[in-house]
Amino acid sequence: MLLGLLLVLGGTGLYGVRTSRRAAYWRQHRDEPIRSWMTLNYIAHSYRVPPHVLYQAAGVPWGERDRRPLLNIARSQKRGVPELVSALQRAIIHSRPPFVAPAPAPE
Amino acid sequence: MSISDYVLAAFVYNGLPLLFAVILIASIGVPFIPTTLTLLAAGSLVEQGELKMGSVVAVATLAAVLGDGFGYTVARWGGRPWVLRQAARMGAMETFARAEILARRHGDLGIFFTRWLATAAGPWVNVASGLTHYPRRRFLFWVVMGETLWVGLFVTLGYHFSDRVQAVGELLSDLAVLVVGLIVTALLAWQLVRSFRSQERST
Repeated sequence: MLLGLLLVLGGTGLYGVRTSRRAAYWRQHRDEPIRSWMTLNYIAHSYRVPPHVLYQAAGVPWGERDRRPLLNIARSQKRGVPELVSALQRAIIHSRPPFVAPAPAPE
Repeated sequence: MSISDYVLAAFVYNGLPLLFAVILIASIGVPFIPTTLTLLAAGSLVEQGELKMGSVVAVATLAAVLGDGFGYTVARWGGRPWVLRQAARMGAMETFARAEILARRHGDLGIFFTRWLATAAGPWVNVASGLTHYPRRRFLFWVVMGETLWVGLFVTLGYHFSDRVQAVGELLSDLAVLVVGLIVTALLAWQLVRSFRSQERST
């Protein structure tokens, strides 16, 4: 039983360190990594950039809300998710200071 | 790309029917289904105006309760006769009877906490409850209580942290393991102290 206690204590300690490091990381970083399940609107919401900027970067027509996750968008464009994510990351960087704020969404 | 990404992608694209399917399958006991992230994402979609809070909570809770009920029912009417035969063959009927008493005495808390905290153990508790003939209505009561808390809690968290679903999901998964680890550590330490005391008394 003592061995079991030590094992559980060790595992719990490891998870304690992992959890506190993760919490400390997220206190300092706002942006979470872009994943293939995310939609363009979710990424725009998460990164606080206007959605039309991401629609343009992804090559998706701006207008009606596109509910497709990146996985489906990349598949329909016959390209990989990492390529699409890179295009979105470039657009996000260019819509934040020191770059000029993006123009408002076209009507 | 992980299973988690595929499941979440299917959910954000299809909405409520996929939410129902994901939670049902996970509650039956299929592993590696990202239920925490799915509920957080559902909360985020509510905040963004794509889904309604009431429908999300109702659909997810119903799916969870049905999944739990499935495990319990199959174990009670399908698994129990088999387990009883094996117990009789191995001469372990007394052990089985003790397990039944134990399940009835401590089952309430076990069912409740495995709905929303130690969720990985949920499907096993459903089967154990069915096998030990845990009272049906009491099982349903604790399942509904626990699942409503689980769904409500995670969807609300997703609503409030609607822009950081992935980050919060990973943090909460670690936190759940940590809390369960602390509880198990405390229980083992308590058992150890008790056995030391009884040894001291006998010498």
